[in-house]
Amino acid sequence: MTSVGSELALLVDVGSAWTKGTLISRVRGSWRIVAHGAQPTDWGDDELVRRLASALRPSADPRLARDLERLIAAAPRIECHTSVRPARLALASVSRDVSGAAARRAAESAGWLIVENASADDGRALTDRLVALQAAEVDAWLLSGGFEGAHADQALEMTALVAAARGDRREPVIWAGSSRLSHEVAGLFEPGAVSTVANPRPSPEREDPGPLRIYLEALLSRTVEPESARHLSPVSFRRALAQLSRETELRIMGIDLGARFATVVLADGRGEAESRVFARGGLTAAALTAPGGPGRVTRGMPEPIDELTVADTLQNLGARPATLPQTEEDLAVLHGAARHQLASVVADDLRADGIDLLVGAGRVMAAAPRPAMAAQMLIDGVRPLGVTALAIDGGALLGPLGSLEDGEIGEGMASLREDLLVPLGTAVICRGGRSGHVAMRVTLHRSGWPSIGPIEVRSGQLQIVPLGAGQFAELEISLEEGASLGTPRRSRRAWAEVSGGSVGVILDARGVPTSVPRRAEDRRAVLAAWRDAMLREPPQPAPRAR
Amino acid sequence: MSFSHRIPIPQGSQVSVSIGEEVRPDQELARRRNPIEPEIVPVAGPLRRRPEVAAGLLLRPPGAFVEAGEPIAQASDGRQVLSPVAGLLLAYSRVDGNAVISPLGPDEPILAHISGRVSAIDPTAITIEVQGAALDGVGGTGEAVHGELIVSVRDPGEELRAAAIDTGSTGKIVVGGSRASAETLTRARAMGVAGIVLGGVLDKELRDFAAIQRRRRDVGGLAGSFGLLLVEGFGKVGLDAGLFAWFERHSGHMASLFGAEHRLYVYDATRPPLRRSLPSLGDRVIAHRRPFQGRSGQLVGFVDGLHMTPSGILARTALVRFEDGRTTPVPLANLEATDRSESGSGD
Repeated sequence: MTSVGSELALLVDVGSAWTKGTLISRVRGSWRIVAHGAQPTDWGDDELVRRLASALRPSADPRLARDLERLIAAAPRIECHTSVRPARLALASVSRDVSGAAARRAAESAGWLIVENASADDGRALTDRLVALQAAEVDAWLLSGGFEGAHADQALEMTALVAAARGDRREPVIWAGSSRLSHEVAGLFEPGAVSTVANPRPSPEREDPGPLRIYLEALLSRTVEPESARHLSPVSFRRALAQLSRETELRIMGIDLGARFATVVLADGRGEAESRVFARGGLTAAALTAPGGPGRVTRGMPEPIDELTVADTLQNLGARPATLPQTEEDLAVLHGAARHQLASVVADDLRADGIDLLVGAGRVMAAAPRPAMAAQMLIDGVRPLGVTALAIDGGALLGPLGSLEDGEIGEGMASLREDLLVPLGTAVICRGGRSGHVAMRVTLHRSGWPSIGPIEVRSGQLQIVPLGAGQFAELEISLEEGASLGTPRRSRRAWAEVSGGSVGVILDARGVPTSVPRRAEDRRAVLAAWRDAMLREPPQPAPRAR
Repeated sequence: MSFSHRIPIPQGSQVSVSIGEEVRPDQELARRRNPIEPEIVPVAGPLRRRPEVAAGLLLRPPGAFVEAGEPIAQASDGRQVLSPVAGLLLAYSRVDGNAVISPLGPDEPILAHISGRVSAIDPTAITIEVQGAALDGVGGTGEAVHGELIVSVRDPGEELRAAAIDTGSTGKIVVGGSRASAETLTRARAMGVAGIVLGGVLDKELRDFAAIQRRRRDVGGLAGSFGLLLVEGFGKVGLDAGLFAWFERHSGHMASLFGAEHRLYVYDATRPPLRRSLPSLGDRVIAHRRPFQGRSGQLVGFVDGLHMTPSGILARTALVRFEDGRTTPVPLANLEATDRSESGSGD
């Protein structure tokens, strides 16, 4: 029976659509999850407390049953939340596809929302561009253009346009273009208005968005809720994964896919982590409902759902993000959208190749009806090449724990180590190989059990080998000609220690990225085969060797 | 009922109202002169300097406003270049030595499209305190408009047909039913309808309508403003019967529609049937996801614990007796409570 006293704490992740609450308590000397609940954010705090109390009641000390709500409400609370509003930026650049693209990527991955994107080659008349910039309501202006050392007149013209549009407003201006123009750019604004940051596109061949992204991240934290930056979900998620990486010495990628935001974190195994935050990268992203969006989602789905239905479903998801897919069709569209968004947020400069652990967070993965669905969203969206452990943040613990003070995160995560992540298993993903031929042969060795395999995985094929949570195995992987796990060594044979989970070991020779037939029926058949392979009940493992 | 409504004002506008002033929908809040076709003004040539040298002789920085006849550049020998027009000095080219000045066009009013009292003015917006009923939708598009509210369908589930739009609809905000085709929307705009309120609309129809508007704008055939408000959701979704009755009761009232902000104000009106998440036992509810999207009924019970939906997701679930008499489990998150009828709205 759970002992409930003062040793209770409430971890809360308040999202823009859903709030997740987890109650932890000491059980036989260690901190464990004793109740968890998720609800639409606008249901409010009292309802969350009621919900957690009712979840806890059957296992709680009957003497405390009446007091549970009061105890939970009074328990120490560790909370993170999504920002109330995104920070808005107007971007003016010389070329939409060169300097503009580099600056846009840096800004979007720092969590800014670009509300006006003007460039000298955007096809609009000068006056239309000016009118659009004048109408933009923004928190800052970002100017970019000119390769290093060049004196780009067009960059100065775009700067003048912004100076005219901004008029006597006082939002900060960031110059991220040719350093040779810095002085002239600053001269077009009042003293102190312009900050100069390194050019994200210093030459036609090179893109270097890092310094601009870091600058914009810092500016964003001063612009949006500066007093609670540590409690903002994208920040706390990054801090938690950095700590996890420091403790485990694993190279970890974590993706938190929410209704509005998507956050990608890559932690390097030494506790250093960098992140990309997309203010419109979540499941209500405008890109999903913009022209072409529903078509792209439809093409990635095995279910024969027409594009018009997909478009209406995505619009309804955007209009009412706190509702749930009640039909199988709606769920398929939601998961299709999730795979699409995961792929789009990792397609940038943070690559998943060679990571040891991939962590999925967000309601869409945590609430997936079957763990294999969450695993498929992760591997289809992210395509981590190599051998990668998969897990989900099922209890939505990472965000709240990452909001603790520096000295407390480690302790908090260590206390909840057993419940922190839900292991799904391990994915072995290779690329290359000849179509229809064997790409890899995998043998699974477990101490005290007969070996399984070698299992032949053909190029374009996906197979699951059951390996339960808490179980470990050694994989012997033999790669055929042309197939690769992305490791620098060209050896055709590899060994890897892997851990199991609710899905098992996923042997995936579908390539990176996957390729599917162009014809709709053939494509759906291939996608359905992959889905069925993931969701099929695994065969019973061979009896244990005596 | 009082609501604060913020109207963004583009940079460079001259505000025509003051705090505390009462405004009407057709009243001007500010005036604005949009930049028009820019003029090329030679600078280096008249100064007899090379273009890159002349850049250092500009008296006003690009981005500044210059008056007609104002010197914009001057050489050490006294030669000057005067601005031929009043406008924004947008650029100076170091290649050809010319400046670009965009004159400002005629004054254009920024209309309130709303009734109320000015409560705040800041550099980017004017805030109006609105007395009336406000209705928030889940989608919308188009400019701010105002007009008299009329109901053009007989039933909340009926589709708004093109034939229902006639000259009597001109300048009005038309309440339709469960959907409208792109053809209907195009005809409505062409007939001078100010705006349309719908229960649902298909994403494709909205997309087709937007494409038609874009083509018409490109060829210069688009005049007047038009707004659209979507109340329930995307797809063929009727208006809730209680809300439809409220619209019928307020037919003929003045209204303001802000499509992009998904909001409708109706003046001299009782409040619309309230919507509330987390319904309770006995509440009249509306379902918002398929297969029951847009259908209403009564919440008659709760399922203990978590219940598995047909999609496989575990959810807190309510039992709803829909108006066709069928009782079925629906995830609580997909339900909104609403007033039993418009008669519940007292103020």
